[in-house]
Amino acid sequence: MVDDNDLTGRRLSRDDFLKLSAVAGGAALLGGRTSPAEAARARLAKESGRLQVLDWAGYEVKPLWAPYLKKYPGQAPKFTFMTNEANALAKMHAGFKPDVVRPYVGYVRDFANSGFVQPWDPSLISNFKYLNPVMVKAGQVGGKQYGIPADWGFDAILYRTDKVKPKARSWSLLFDDRYAGKIAWFDDLNQLVWAGYYLGFKQPYNQTDAELKRSQKLLISKKHLVRLFWSSETDMDNAFASGDLWIAYAWPNDWVIMKSKGLKVVYMHPKEGPLSWIGMLMLGKGTSRYQHAHAFADAWSSVESATWLENNYGYGEANTRARPKSSDLLRVLQLTNPNAVSEPNAHIDRYVPRRQVYAKLWEEVKAA
Amino acid sequence: MAVEAQAAPARLRRHLRLDLGTPGLLGLPLGWLVVFFLVPIGIVGAYSIDAYSIYPGRHPLTLVGWHDLLHSGVYLRLFWKSVKMSLIVSALVVLLAYPVAYYLALSGTKRKYVLLLILIAPFLTSYLLRVLAWKVILGSQGVVNTFFFWVGLRSPDHPVSQLLYSRFAVMLVLAYIWLPFVALPIFVSLESLDRRLLEAASDLGASRWQAFRRVTLPLSMPGVIAAFLFVFIPTVGEFVTPSLVGGTSGYMYGNQITDLFGTGFPDWRTGSVLALFLLGVVAVLTAVFARFLQVRQVATG
Repeated sequence: MVDDNDLTGRRLSRDDFLKLSAVAGGAALLGGRTSPAEAARARLAKESGRLQVLDWAGYEVKPLWAPYLKKYPGQAPKFTFMTNEANALAKMHAGFKPDVVRPYVGYVRDFANSGFVQPWDPSLISNFKYLNPVMVKAGQVGGKQYGIPADWGFDAILYRTDKVKPKARSWSLLFDDRYAGKIAWFDDLNQLVWAGYYLGFKQPYNQTDAELKRSQKLLISKKHLVRLFWSSETDMDNAFASGDLWIAYAWPNDWVIMKSKGLKVVYMHPKEGPLSWIGMLMLGKGTSRYQHAHAFADAWSSVESATWLENNYGYGEANTRARPKSSDLLRVLQLTNPNAVSEPNAHIDRYVPRRQVYAKLWEEVKAA
Repeated sequence: MAVEAQAAPARLRRHLRLDLGTPGLLGLPLGWLVVFFLVPIGIVGAYSIDAYSIYPGRHPLTLVGWHDLLHSGVYLRLFWKSVKMSLIVSALVVLLAYPVAYYLALSGTKRKYVLLLILIAPFLTSYLLRVLAWKVILGSQGVVNTFFFWVGLRSPDHPVSQLLYSRFAVMLVLAYIWLPFVALPIFVSLESLDRRLLEAASDLGASRWQAFRRVTLPLSMPGVIAAFLFVFIPTVGEFVTPSLVGGTSGYMYGNQITDLFGTGFPDWRTGSVLALFLLGVVAVLTAVFARFLQVRQVATG
């Protein structure tokens, strides 16, 4: 039984009221044992708990989901942080049940297959129609919308123009002998992917054993030129800003940060193509906060949140109506190009069928 | 009779108290050891052969992780690199700490405990802060390089870049962090030294150097070895310092274990194998050192 105070003590938004009326009406028609009002109350009360969001550190800040708070005042989501997708999956295997989780696009299928998530109902997300169609498609598995695209960006090369003169617009700048000790790679198995693109393989996300060995060999043979494998973006930014690094595997926002520090920098898309990534909000299977979760995804998809993300974090946002203040960012993210993240412009991050093999080989690169 | 009759139950009570006292006293630490040391090791062992797995479904038991460790060579080389780094740090720190401890223990200064307190004062600040402070000192625009620019040894365009994100940086920071910790056991062993032995050596015509070499040093060896182990055991599995100042070349075995467990793509089987291997090697080394320690004590005692 629901405590009456619970409901009367809460301010109902117009949406809530409409939903309540609809539920009450439906219940009245069905004429079940519980009274319509009780059923409606029960439904809302069921969802009244705090939304559990498993997200990346930095995405808990209010402006990114402010419309959600407007809709459900006083019910800020509870955030738990993930360090990577595989780890988040392991957490969920261990029994953690978030209502919303955000893997990146390469893991959408892994999560969908895991059985811990369910498809969204896009009709409950009013801003869904404004989301970039290419990114929306990337969030689908078997025709169902498992991922709501949110933040996105590229993996490409950041370098200082006053120190570095690239011989070619290529991934090979990441292992140019002339800049030994001034280069940073990203601590992630997708280093094998760019190596694959550099080596001209057909499917760098699904390399054969022989190809993987060649990619790994390339990385190991060039590792001595690399100063840092960064896993914390702040660490890399600090090292770059202080002159310890001149060339880095980086995201567009790192370019924005370095420019704001007065460094002469270029964000170079290699001719083999940069990689691109999209954060995908996913809905926990059997969530008891179905409406809340959709409202959260809707809030992230709003122009308001999207613009804030672009202005403050320097990432792109899937809402195509959002435009950052900085024309530099607009240019580097190619925000006017709806196909910026996809072929032939970039290689969108995707499901890696043999991810464990990639991971093992990458760990060996680090250990070698 | 009455007195005897009263005494007997009293003795019995004392016996009972003793009998119950021993397991009572040992029970808690033993239980602690079992629950928080042996059981977790057992669990890690189970992960290493896939008896447990973070991935759902049934997994046949396998020794693949162990086979890979012993045959791939990559992880063993990394382990050897970490052992070498740790040995250098431990030896260096003991060498640096010995004169300090010697001065504090034997110089007869009245303020030795104040000086000792000053020595261990850095322990009062956070470990992380102490490591991070070195980034400010060693960076391309850090304190050391700025000094080089100032005296004209280097131009700002060509700073000494190997100071940070290098094997050197890891060893330097580890040595700095462990130095006070190492001085303590050496100080204790030197403090408990029977000064009359030094007087006797002097009476028998030994020079100060001879007395140090033949009396003081051998008698302080248990402290030196304990100090060495104090540094070697934690640093061989160290991962915080190398992840902050080590860069690519300062990457250690401990980093690999943390990456396999959580930071990177989780591979708990390999991570468990690596962790157990480290535990085994450290346990064997400790046993060997402890044996050596006892022998010395017997020989010099």
